[in-house]
Amino acid sequence: MPTKPSSFEQLKQEGRAKSNFLTRTRESIEFDEIPKADLTQYHDVVAPLLKSKCSACHGADEDHANLRIDEISPNLLAGESVERWREIYKVLSNSEMPPDDEPDFALTGLERKQLVSWISREMNKASFVRRNTTEHTSFRRMTKSEYNYAIQDLLGLPYAIGTGLPTETASEDGFIKNSELLQMSAMQFESYRNLALDALKRVTVRGPRPEPVIYDISMPEQMEILAGAKNATVFNQSKDDYEKQIRRPHLFNRETGDGISFSNGSVKPNKTAVDATQSAASPVVLALNASQESKWNLDRFLPDNGMMRVSISVGRTTMDATEHASVRLIFSAHTSNNANFTEVISHQDIPVNASASDPEYIHFDIPLSEIQRNPFRKLATDFPRRDEFLHFRNVSSTRNRKKPLQLHIDHVRITAPFHAQWPPKSHTDIFFPSKNSNDEELYGREILEKFLSRVWRRPPETSDLDKFMRLYNIFRSDLPTLEAAMVEVLATALATPEFLYLTERVAEPQQPSQINDFELASRLSFFLWSSIPDRELLRAANQGGLKQSDALQKQVTRMLADPKAKRFHESFVKQWLGLDGLNSITHITDTELLSAIKQEPVAFFEDLLTRNGSILEFLHSDYVVVNERLARHYGVRDVYGPHFQRVEGNPDQHRGGVLTGAAVMAMNSDGSDSNPLKRGVWLLERILHDPPPPPPPDVPEVDLTDPRILEMTLKERIADHRNKAACVSCHSRIDPWGIAFENFDAQGAFRTQIGNRPVDANSILFNQQPLSGIDGLKRYLISDRQDQFIRAIVHKMTSYSLGRPLTFADRADVDTLAVQLRQSGDGLEDLIRLITSSELFHAKQKIGTIHE
Amino acid sequence: MNETTQRINRRNFLRGSGLALALPWLEAISASAGQTHETPKRFLSVYHPDGVGLPLKNDPAWHDWSWFPRGGERNFELTKVLDVLEPLRADITIYSGLSHPDARKVHGHSNADQYLTGAATGGHGPYKNTVSVDQVIAQHNNEATRHGSLVMSTNGGIGGPRGAQTQSFNQAGRPIPAMNKPKQIFDTLFVANGTDAGAKLARSRSSLDFLIENTRSLERKLSQRDRRKLQQYLDAVRDTEVKLERAQKWVDTPLPDVDIKNLHLDSGPEEARLYFQTMYELIYLSFFSDSTRVATFQLGRENGGGPHNLLSKAVDLGNAHALTHDVKKPDGWKNLGTYNRYQASEFGRFVERLKQTPEPSGNGSLLDNTFAMHGSASSSFHLSRNYPIISAGGGNLGFENGRYLKYGTGNEDNQAGAGIVSDAGWRGKVVAEEEPLALLFTTVLQRFGVETDTFAGVTGTLDRI
Repeated sequence: MPTKPSSFEQLKQEGRAKSNFLTRTRESIEFDEIPKADLTQYHDVVAPLLKSKCSACHGADEDHANLRIDEISPNLLAGESVERWREIYKVLSNSEMPPDDEPDFALTGLERKQLVSWISREMNKASFVRRNTTEHTSFRRMTKSEYNYAIQDLLGLPYAIGTGLPTETASEDGFIKNSELLQMSAMQFESYRNLALDALKRVTVRGPRPEPVIYDISMPEQMEILAGAKNATVFNQSKDDYEKQIRRPHLFNRETGDGISFSNGSVKPNKTAVDATQSAASPVVLALNASQESKWNLDRFLPDNGMMRVSISVGRTTMDATEHASVRLIFSAHTSNNANFTEVISHQDIPVNASASDPEYIHFDIPLSEIQRNPFRKLATDFPRRDEFLHFRNVSSTRNRKKPLQLHIDHVRITAPFHAQWPPKSHTDIFFPSKNSNDEELYGREILEKFLSRVWRRPPETSDLDKFMRLYNIFRSDLPTLEAAMVEVLATALATPEFLYLTERVAEPQQPSQINDFELASRLSFFLWSSIPDRELLRAANQGGLKQSDALQKQVTRMLADPKAKRFHESFVKQWLGLDGLNSITHITDTELLSAIKQEPVAFFEDLLTRNGSILEFLHSDYVVVNERLARHYGVRDVYGPHFQRVEGNPDQHRGGVLTGAAVMAMNSDGSDSNPLKRGVWLLERILHDPPPPPPPDVPEVDLTDPRILEMTLKERIADHRNKAACVSCHSRIDPWGIAFENFDAQGAFRTQIGNRPVDANSILFNQQPLSGIDGLKRYLISDRQDQFIRAIVHKMTSYSLGRPLTFADRADVDTLAVQLRQSGDGLEDLIRLITSSELFHAKQKIGTIHE
Repeated sequence: MNETTQRINRRNFLRGSGLALALPWLEAISASAGQTHETPKRFLSVYHPDGVGLPLKNDPAWHDWSWFPRGGERNFELTKVLDVLEPLRADITIYSGLSHPDARKVHGHSNADQYLTGAATGGHGPYKNTVSVDQVIAQHNNEATRHGSLVMSTNGGIGGPRGAQTQSFNQAGRPIPAMNKPKQIFDTLFVANGTDAGAKLARSRSSLDFLIENTRSLERKLSQRDRRKLQQYLDAVRDTEVKLERAQKWVDTPLPDVDIKNLHLDSGPEEARLYFQTMYELIYLSFFSDSTRVATFQLGRENGGGPHNLLSKAVDLGNAHALTHDVKKPDGWKNLGTYNRYQASEFGRFVERLKQTPEPSGNGSLLDNTFAMHGSASSSFHLSRNYPIISAGGGNLGFENGRYLKYGTGNEDNQAGAGIVSDAGWRGKVVAEEEPLALLFTTVLQRFGVETDTFAGVTGTLDRI
């Protein structure tokens, strides 16, 4: 046994001591340096070689292929000559030039390598410079999800309406808010207009409160019907098959102990229903064991639109804290043989916390227009079948084999459409009571002023209101009511660029380089809520002084505590780590596991943010944030329930932090096995923000028909590939990182053997640093790469917060933020506060330039 | 007789009947549409449920009543099922060995939904479909005609998931309701409606005018750089305006008058022959008047039930769906074949009518500029493989007819799954290798000018077409 290595905690301290950000010597910070063309190497080595070997055919005397090698600028970074050099690179690296039949001009292996590697380096620098100097504007369209959130927040619509809009593609740095990629087409514009009108018509109402359809499912009634039937087989404890019977879905009388097997029933609307709840718990209940469901035929009386509220009075038979119980709703129809569907309609399972002796109501709200319905429900004839079915499923984990947890349901009420108040709040938010409501002109302006200030994220000017009122009057002439005409006007407001785009107006004279308070409010809300500001944030902006630190941080605190901040957690983590990659994997078929794998990094982020924990914990933590399913996957014991929780880790599990999460391993695999190349690239891009250049054109494929290659292990194959001259320069910088992850398989499970060979996860980095597996990789990052990681995440989050890629011009600001973050102790919440207070966040967009 | 029918009859009376009188109108409409020289490209897909008869080779019925022809590409011999198409031999192509891969192991009853989409609609659970090939063409036509497409079926509406009663699905994969009543279809195509389409368009125009004006005032407040970005928005608004103008043009253009002597607008499936001929005639008239260039027609729904079971009355046979179950009974193959033969004859009659009608632009016949398909998503009993497909016409689109094109391998005699009347068929192992039908769709799309090389996730086109 070697001597005990330093603990991760010690390494963190040692690594921190090495930080240049802490000592703040600007010159020593070397990330993201502006590259310069390497002309020395060109003049010393490249030019003489080209002159002696190439210029006879591609020079002043002859210019084959229209190429004069002496006239191509050696400064690829200036941009003009890159394409020409790319062609030269191709023919040289493929050994197509100089031609075989010209032995006088043949290149030696070393000479070829010198030429190829100089060109390759310069091409990579050129592409880096181009990426980092392209002008980016913060003026951009909302993304699909921002649009959906904005419409929901604005109108109080409880579900997304624009799910059919095209999805955005991520930019090179993984973020989707890149202005250049957020295009607008006629088709998209039309969708926005139609969606807005549709949404407004859904949230506003006409006429008196509609009479809801109400179904009451009463278990005592069902029991009475069933027990009264001729061949009723009532069971109780005295019967031999009791143990078998109670493991089936059944109705159960808790007073008499009688049970009767039962799962599917049918129910008709209750015309006389008054009270939404039953007064006392009934002795008769529907008992469901884990994974069992009860299916109810609701016939064809549910309305087409509106919210369906399903209230279930339910309790659990055991209260063991290690068991979890919840209910899921499913909807189905079976219209004829082989023409059927079933769909989970509950957005998430609702936990059952009450005991069976004292049940409580849980409520599901389901938008009927958004789920698959039986299209035949209005037929006059009865074939194809017209009925629709609602299922309640017990989704539980049960441990006690002798007395398994059951759910006892005594009453279910289905109400549709369900309205908590009439007119609904979403309606009165737009058409609010006003003393001017009889004066269309005045009332119209009031409605518009309130609506527009939210939609445009700033108070409208009088001239704006005039314009909109003119439009209103045009519409009003052929529509019957104020509401009908106003809805059309408001839909038009939702198609204006001031709503659809994040705008910055030209500088105001007093503060030429800063955005104003309203623009700041928008920036904050799109950063932390992925949506438009709420009224309170706008109020703060309107009062002025939002830029002052106190007022600003007060808002940040409020915003982070709001449930809407969950959107930030999800979308930042998803884009930072590239979790979309998980959507295309097919090798994990356990949906519960896959869903847990997807959620873990977000849950980890949330846990860290709540505690303002150190960002370095993303690299390694001595705890894991898991739920029951994922804990089982990781071999962590005593974690119960579907919710994520922080539990102490165990060094033998080799977990903790985001690097070792199954998400990273699963999406960076080739489906059946690990893929060290993908994992290496992922680490460089996402964690170290040092993306490797894209593979060159015509990269040679690994020949899997070659028996020599087939015999090699994966690591040997990679090494073999790396040894090719054309590949080595990039792969030696990528592969060793990925090989360190070899102990994790394609599902992210830890392994010590592949087939019958032991896992070899040792590698040597380009700088000769040996890495010994995942722990070695983490130790190295923590002790030697803290600054780089910190700067990487500062860069990523700043870019996310501004909604644009950063350029060279932003380097100093990012460095400053990194210094401040290191000095304040690397806290995740601190980073958000630093960014929101930073000059960059308050500045109008600068234009990127290279300072030579 | 209700008011509309009377009105039509009166007009018919005033104008007389026949093609001669229709001609002056033709000039008027083509001039007003400003497309005198452009020859339309038209697409039709007719779908029939329940597949076709596929007896085993050793069955005495095989020679006469197997749906697929005998013989090779050019020298094929039609069996009694398709011999009614013999006069059109040079105008049709018959295909074998094509199917949608995702449905090959799904019960035939569930599969009408995916015939034109190729989506993995599956057999149970959540349901999702994708755009159908006809709607891709309709979208590509970009409001060149009053109606983007004509969607019809005998049962009407959308049907249910895995029990479609329409062949057309929009860009989002949602079903487009099919019309099934001849009179309703006629009114939609040729009788002015009283809806507020015009008022709605006017509101959209006001809204667009407002947006353009509003955006200009915003523009002044933006930096030069952001103005360029805003330009894209303005372009989108203007494109939408152009589209509205086209729609407005159709509101302002008088509806075409058509010759209605072959229409029996009150007929229903119970009078199968009249109904069939009327539905085909409506497609013919909508193509001829250039009211639309895309049509789909689903003859019945999979899994029986509803009006389409009555269609087999045309040939004095019982319940259409039952014919597929009863093939092993006396005359079973013959009965199913007779019904399929009848379907082919109606299709043939329609094709013949297109062939006899000169294209208004002078470029050949209507048939030369129309690609018309006839087929089903199952061959033998509930078996979702080897779709029986006929196409007709399309000479000017580059389709070369007079051929029997066999695709795939391992099923040269169409015997895979033949003779089966149990679920062992559709559940059975896939033995023959077939080509994805989407390859044919991509070829068709390209011939219609759609720039694509994939459909339903399948890349490539069908060779030999």
